[in-house]
Amino acid sequence: MQPLLHLENISKRYGSVRVLDGIDIAVADNEFLTILGPSGSGKTTILRIIGGFESIDGGRLMFDGRDLAAVPINRRPFNTVFQDYALFHHMSVAENIGYGLKVRGRPKAEIATRVADVLETVGLGAFGARYPAQLSGGQRQRVALARAIICEPRMILLDEPLSALDVDLRAQMQRFLKSLQRRLGIAFVFITHDQEEAIALSDRIVVVNHGRIEQEGAPEQLYRRPRTPFIAAFLGENNLLSGVLAAVDGQLGQVDTAAGRLVATADGPLPALGQAVQVAVRPEHITLSPASAATRDALTAEVADIRFLGANILIELTHPALPDTVLKVRRLADGSAADFRTGQKLNLSWAVHDAALLVPGG
Amino acid sequence: MKQKAPFIDSLLGFTAVVGLVALYAPLIAVVVLSFFQITRLRGVIGFAPFSLEPYAALVANHEILSALATSLTVATIASLASLVLALMFAFYFVTARRGFGLLMQVMVFLPFLLPPIITGLALLIAFREIDFSRGLATVIIGHVVFIVPVVYRTVLVRLQLLGRSLTEASLDLGASQTQTLVHVILPQMRPALISGLLLAFAISFDETLITLFVAGSETTLPIRLWAMMRVGFVPEINALATLILLFTAAITVAIGLMQRSQGERAS
Amino acid sequence: MSAAPTRSDTSSCRRARALVALRHALNLGLPILFVLIPILSFVLVSFWTLQDGQIVRTFTLANYRSFFTEGSYLPVYLSTVWLSLQVTFVNVTLATAIALFIFRRTPRVRFFILMSFMLPLFMSYIIKVYAIRTILGQRGLLNEGLMALGLIDQPIEVLLFSRTAIFVALAVIYLPYAILPIYLALDRIPANYLAASADLGASALQGLRHIVLPLGRPGIAAGAVFTFILTFGDFVTPQMVGGTQGFTFGRIVFSQFGLALNWPLGSALAVILLATTLLAVALAGLTLRREHVR
Repeated sequence: MQPLLHLENISKRYGSVRVLDGIDIAVADNEFLTILGPSGSGKTTILRIIGGFESIDGGRLMFDGRDLAAVPINRRPFNTVFQDYALFHHMSVAENIGYGLKVRGRPKAEIATRVADVLETVGLGAFGARYPAQLSGGQRQRVALARAIICEPRMILLDEPLSALDVDLRAQMQRFLKSLQRRLGIAFVFITHDQEEAIALSDRIVVVNHGRIEQEGAPEQLYRRPRTPFIAAFLGENNLLSGVLAAVDGQLGQVDTAAGRLVATADGPLPALGQAVQVAVRPEHITLSPASAATRDALTAEVADIRFLGANILIELTHPALPDTVLKVRRLADGSAADFRTGQKLNLSWAVHDAALLVPGG
Repeated sequence: MKQKAPFIDSLLGFTAVVGLVALYAPLIAVVVLSFFQITRLRGVIGFAPFSLEPYAALVANHEILSALATSLTVATIASLASLVLALMFAFYFVTARRGFGLLMQVMVFLPFLLPPIITGLALLIAFREIDFSRGLATVIIGHVVFIVPVVYRTVLVRLQLLGRSLTEASLDLGASQTQTLVHVILPQMRPALISGLLLAFAISFDETLITLFVAGSETTLPIRLWAMMRVGFVPEINALATLILLFTAAITVAIGLMQRSQGERAS
Repeated sequence: MSAAPTRSDTSSCRRARALVALRHALNLGLPILFVLIPILSFVLVSFWTLQDGQIVRTFTLANYRSFFTEGSYLPVYLSTVWLSLQVTFVNVTLATAIALFIFRRTPRVRFFILMSFMLPLFMSYIIKVYAIRTILGQRGLLNEGLMALGLIDQPIEVLLFSRTAIFVALAVIYLPYAILPIYLALDRIPANYLAASADLGASALQGLRHIVLPLGRPGIAAGAVFTFILTFGDFVTPQMVGGTQGFTFGRIVFSQFGLALNWPLGSALAVILLATTLLAVALAGLTLRREHVR
């Protein structure tokens, strides 16, 4: 099926600095796609290129089978919600929302009805006559959304729209965004550096780092099967252990680390034997047991610190062969923390499918 | 990001060029005429070859030179006095009660906001009422009254940018008010003080409309020029104008570049 | 503490209080002395009269009556208002276009273009007047040039000592004063407003009309007020390029303190001049206020 929006092998440079390199992203109809990356990764540049605010140095930008190269910003068939909303402070809420229709020369009566409709959609029915300065952050956010959807685009771009909101409001707006996207049945291309937000909202996530796509996939897939150390560290928490690939059995690889041989599951092709790889294990996937119980595959480590974090307990352990690494283990705070104390030696074990085999830089 | 609009841009560009020509053509003409005088031979107009004659005449013109000396004296004293007063007012504004500060500020700004003709004749009448005869002192007072708002504004902006924490940190470390002022605040404000001083000097050196009211027998350069031009054409005016233009252009560019680097540092 | 303050306490306290008083005296006293009192005194003088070369210090509205009834005061006043309005209109139009031109450049070159328009602002006023006369005068470069080219036989009289000449000279001299506030207003427009406008489907022209110009309006109003006040109060430019033809209101006021030597009448006319400029400020403020409430 032809994607709605297709970035084909896009590259971009500022002077001699290459900010985007071979970016290839396809957005399907009705999809909530998130472009996730740390600051400076190039994610905002991607959005600005789609919006038409930046030119490209290589590749093609296709929308609905049409090349957008010659299409100026104001003729591109989708709209943007800007990071700080960019609401025109000299126009009322209704005028802001109706702006897209007004510049298209729609009759006043039609604009009024459609603005009223959209205000209802975003839950701001009574706010049309107010000015942006009289609104709260969450309300401004809704106005910016209303303004972007009034012309009924098949896709909208959202540039870190929740970053200016406080934590409570952000959770509320996340739910609202997700439900709005389902109700409208249009594609959302969402930019963020917040991995929790990306996981909570998206149908699919594209992770960008240093101007390249690091990995893409459904949130759960990325979380469970990170392919690179960057993804493993960026999405959620991970224990990373470096080693050398010693043996291969199907998708399973045996890795020789300083702390001994570990078995991990690879997603995708395995590298050659003898290559440097990493094993990633989530803190919540590790089982702790008393060191006396001899388990062959387990690591034995010493409890360095126990931290109560509300719903969780974080246990930090050190291993004599891994001087630079703190192993993290999470347990539900169900009272069992009393079982552990600092200085205690414990065995760490996990299911083989919970250990991900990662290839650095690939 | 800029939307393309070739028609609008060429229209705006054309206006900008017309504006630049209108602003600079007269000035350039004066400079050119100071080196190449116009000649008339049996009604045919031409240019004389390059000569520095007007400049030589200028150096020999004692009236102009003494007016220049007066102007430099006035501008020096007026700009230094304005700087001291502007600093005092700015500190007052940030430390005194808000109402007092605003009252002071309104009065300080007034002479700059009013048409110069009003400021000039108001001072003239006030001097007359207290029998203070016109002379160098009245000219300097007139200039200070007009310049202080400009310097005050430059200084205040910088002072407010510094904020309270720096002062408080200094006082907290045991420095006295005076030590804080000398060692912490004034060094931080140096760019603003210098550009304020230059601006003040340039405005004073150029001031004409107020000076015409408050000057007695002591004439500043603009007043001298005004008087000479009313009588008729004197070739050395072109030479003098050229020198003044170069001088003010240099000061202005210096101020501009200074404020720009200041702005960049502030932002 | 109920203990009575010691002697040294009271004296240092008194010294501190004296310092505070001195500070208020300097910071409020100086502006009162050199700004407020002169302004009040000229308003006061406007209610006195001149009889036989002597100022009579009794309150009368005679000077104001003269403005409406005597000689050419009112016609000159009206024609000067009209002239200033014309200059204001033309200059604000030009300045808006020039400010927009600068605004649409890349940030790096904006400063230098702005600077080249601001440079003449700091050039000597009297020399600018003189320079304009060099171009416009009867024997000015324009006339001479046209005659040398054979386009005209006689110098065009209208180029000097005419209303047109005053108009051109005022427009050239005060153009930078209008450009600066307008540009500064445009410069304050958040960069992403135009991105948002374009994103929502507006053309550059529509962005200009709905975003840039409305947000630049305070600057345009300020530029208009500056231009009006400065041109209306200028009395040297009309004299230098207008000759006997350029009898503007400012010149009438000035002449009362020179040749005519009637300070009370001059003060009254100056009060009218001041009131006119304040009216201009108020009108500009009013249009902006209405804009904001809407």
